[in-house]
Amino acid sequence: MSVLRPLDKQPGLNTATILLVGTEDALLQQLADAMLKEDCASELKIHLARSLPLPSDVNRPRIDLIMFVVNLHSKYSLQNVEESLRHVDATFFLGKVGFLAMGAGQESHCSIHRNTVTKLANTYRSPLFFCDLEREGFRATVAQRLVRMLQICAGHVPGVSALNLLSLLRSSENPAPEDL
Amino acid sequence: MSVNQQDLDPDSTTDMEDITDAEEKLIKECEELWKDMEGCQKKLSLVGTETLTDSNAQLSLLIMQAKCLTAELSQWQKESPEIISLNEEVLVTLGKEEFQKLRVDLELVLSTVQSKNEKLKEDLEREQQWLDEQQQILESLNVLHNKLKQQVVTFSESRVFDELNTKMHDIKEYKEKLLITLGEFLEDHFPLPDGNVKKKKKNVKESTAQLITLHEILEILINRLFDVPHDPYIKIRDSFWPPYIELLLRNGIALRHPEDPTQIRLEAFHQ
Repeated sequence: MSVLRPLDKQPGLNTATILLVGTEDALLQQLADAMLKEDCASELKIHLARSLPLPSDVNRPRIDLIMFVVNLHSKYSLQNVEESLRHVDATFFLGKVGFLAMGAGQESHCSIHRNTVTKLANTYRSPLFFCDLEREGFRATVAQRLVRMLQICAGHVPGVSALNLLSLLRSSENPAPEDL
Repeated sequence: MSVNQQDLDPDSTTDMEDITDAEEKLIKECEELWKDMEGCQKKLSLVGTETLTDSNAQLSLLIMQAKCLTAELSQWQKESPEIISLNEEVLVTLGKEEFQKLRVDLELVLSTVQSKNEKLKEDLEREQQWLDEQQQILESLNVLHNKLKQQVVTFSESRVFDELNTKMHDIKEYKEKLLITLGEFLEDHFPLPDGNVKKKKKNVKESTAQLITLHEILEILINRLFDVPHDPYIKIRDSFWPPYIELLLRNGIALRHPEDPTQIRLEAFHQ
């Protein structure tokens, strides 16, 4: 199956799975560790991938949330993410996809402008987080946010669906005047 | 609590059954829900997939989101809340969990509020200090201001005017005094030569004009110097007694015109 679908399997009992897609393997690993350290009522499963499509021979649980990690210092990572976006089903974007941009702190090393990533997130109507994954404090904060988001996307928070969360996060994504 | 204990002990076997009953009920509910989910899953797997490109992403996603939100909304409106199992044990356990969560949350809130409080106190102290310093500055400035005020004498136009008037009056008086003294001095030491004219009647031409005193010559010279500064020269008239002119010229009080020997001027002593 080359295209990822959101509700293709039965969910695991009390399990929530997140898929982190990005080219920075070491940092993704660190982020995954930070997320596992978080206090969470549900069991977390974190999958890391360099790019989509995922190999179809592996038996993996249902994916509740995909985070695309873009490194603002490397154009290749943006290209990679854009390529991978084509292998995601449209229904995933109803709150189960997010973008994480790293490296915005070092303005001099950025080869991708912030606006490019903002535009990308706006095009796919998904939330965008900025984080410097190399700093432990920031990593822990973003891990906390991701765990909460994941819980909601997996349906473990009664009364809030992924789409509700997405609507609530909308405020930072008001369309720019040029989009109108 | 002790009364309850006594009641429970003889009924311990039935109590265990109650617990297992409650458990079984819960498990049954879960199984039913799981079956429902499997049914939904089957329906979902029949829906086709669709990928997005950059160009059509925004619009199609917005439409999709709108549809899903309306569907969710209608679902919420249809649904009526289900009561959870009314079994005592279940409720007690649930209650305990809720209270634990509440306690943790309240502790968080407490610590946040406390730290905010402390920060506010620090801010207040800092602002207070600043205020005190500013007040001190204000006080010292006020003192300085008062001091300066006292030193400055009030300016009144009329007073200055009066002062100038008196000055002028004094100077005029002095001038008058000087002129009188000069006149007296000149009269005493440089009188008009009445006697001499009579002796040398034959040789000397009789001056047709009356001779004027040295005082008057000086007056004419002074007036000319101040009336017409760019041309302070006057022609030597017959009424000037020549020896006196010689006297003035020799002593540097008067000067001849460089080109015309019949003109003299007063030396500009004031420049």
